Amino acid sequence: MKLATLLKDVWQSLWRRPATEAYPLVKPETSARFRGQLHYNSQGCTGCCLCNKDCPANAIEMITLDKKNKRFVLRYDMDQCIYCGQCVQNCRFSCLSMSPEEWELAAAGKEPFTVYYGQEEDVKDVLAKFTPEDHPEAAPR
Amino acid sequence: MHTNEHTAQIEKFIIPIGPQHPALKEPGHFEFTVDGEIVTHASVRLGYAHRGIEKGVESRNWTQNLYLLERVCGICSHVHATAYCLGVEKLAGVEAPPRAQAIRELVAELERIHSHYLWLGVTAHEAGFDTLFMYTWRDRETVMDILEAISGNRVHYSANILGGVKFDLGEKEAQTIRQGLSFLEERTHHYLEVVSQDALFLQRTRGIGVMTLAQAETIGVIGPTARASGLARDVRLDDPYAAYDRFPVPIILDDRGDLSARVVVRLKELLASIETIRHILDDLPPGELTVRVPRKIKPGEAISRVEAPRGELFYFIKSNGSEMPERIHIRTPTLCNMASVLTLAVGHHLADMPMLLAGIDPCFSCNDRGIVVQYGGDDHDHWTWERLRQFGIDHYKQLESGVF
Repeated sequence: MKLATLLKDVWQSLWRRPATEAYPLVKPETSARFRGQLHYNSQGCTGCCLCNKDCPANAIEMITLDKKNKRFVLRYDMDQCIYCGQCVQNCRFSCLSMSPEEWELAAAGKEPFTVYYGQEEDVKDVLAKFTPEDHPEAAPR
Repeated sequence: MHTNEHTAQIEKFIIPIGPQHPALKEPGHFEFTVDGEIVTHASVRLGYAHRGIEKGVESRNWTQNLYLLERVCGICSHVHATAYCLGVEKLAGVEAPPRAQAIRELVAELERIHSHYLWLGVTAHEAGFDTLFMYTWRDRETVMDILEAISGNRVHYSANILGGVKFDLGEKEAQTIRQGLSFLEERTHHYLEVVSQDALFLQRTRGIGVMTLAQAETIGVIGPTARASGLARDVRLDDPYAAYDRFPVPIILDDRGDLSARVVVRLKELLASIETIRHILDDLPPGELTVRVPRKIKPGEAISRVEAPRGELFYFIKSNGSEMPERIHIRTPTLCNMASVLTLAVGHHLADMPMLLAGIDPCFSCNDRGIVVQYGGDDHDHWTWERLRQFGIDHYKQLESGVF
């Protein structure tokens, strides 16, 4: 490297902030297309299950309580999810979305990783009615 | 006479390197026979990072496999997905729309920039030039940020789906890409100057590992390693896929064939990629992003070839008409280029070995696939599934009966 280039670079670097991020003091901005935690809105869902059929990580499970009255609960395992967005792509009724904001998902235990989405009473029903013995896939892990 | 030969054999000094070694970024086992500091023979044993992906694809559906195959490589994930998508689309008899193909090419070229920058850093580090390593990796963040802005992820972009791409490019994204590219272009010119003028770096690269055009043809090297020896081999030009017929990439050749040429070729490829991306952004074809691909793919076989940053990537896909593939075979460029390291090692100093290896931009975990068993001498044999299974049964039977 030529000496002049070297000195110029040293001078410029003296006034520049470090290239590393100041995380966790400052939360870096993510792009609007960033794929964070999955969200499900049961309004409009027909229970076609195309989302969990193509999930490469088996991270989502559609629990159908009553197909006629459209009572669905989606169990989402954040720790299994690979955040590829295929389920969002598959949903024809735009019930699924991935949040660009929620990505600080680390936890010390396993419980916070299992999330149930749906109408409040439906989720209560799922958690109360199905014991791990007769419905193992609906039970919290 | 016999005694002399015998003595010579005893004095053969072999230095084993790996599978775990500070000079290796991934596991591989090398054995260098040395005479003083000079290497007289080299051999390699691969397979330590075998993950069973080819078997894994047989129990997942066509869409799920897209994400599994994307994870064959963490650096060139997009080309793996592209190769797979193009193959499956060929089998299904559909073709992704022109806009999707152009976006595929754009992401592939951005990925090439990210891969070559990463490689330059690793090579600089192997050469003992850590300042260059840190500078290149700092600048590489720019292209990672671009990829995050357009796809939503830094590493596994998941840009592809069967029959097209997931996201569109608007004016805002095009602006982000253009801004990042002008910065990277300026830096690439600077690095090109550094690698061809810095005395220390030239000592480690100029005249080291010279591979002639004839040698390159015989060994069958591909990618930038071949192009640095003047061998014009590039799938993007030889067999254009995606949108490479509409937006061709200029081929970069060098006839010196040494490590320095491999560095220069890769850096010039960065400039070529930047230029191509600008062409795509200027002339992005309008239209749809996806076409429908059936869940069950027609029975048949397809071959798909793409140019990964390291060279030709080859996919063989076989369908039996169901929702899952019957067989997928992947050949990554490292396998083709590895032979050149062993051939070129002879006559070089032992200290040049990490640089020679870095010169082909190896990716071990991409490369490790089948099971090769060596028993005695140089006799290699591929084991069938049935034979391997029988071997396992016999082995455990012997264990139970207490033979071991």
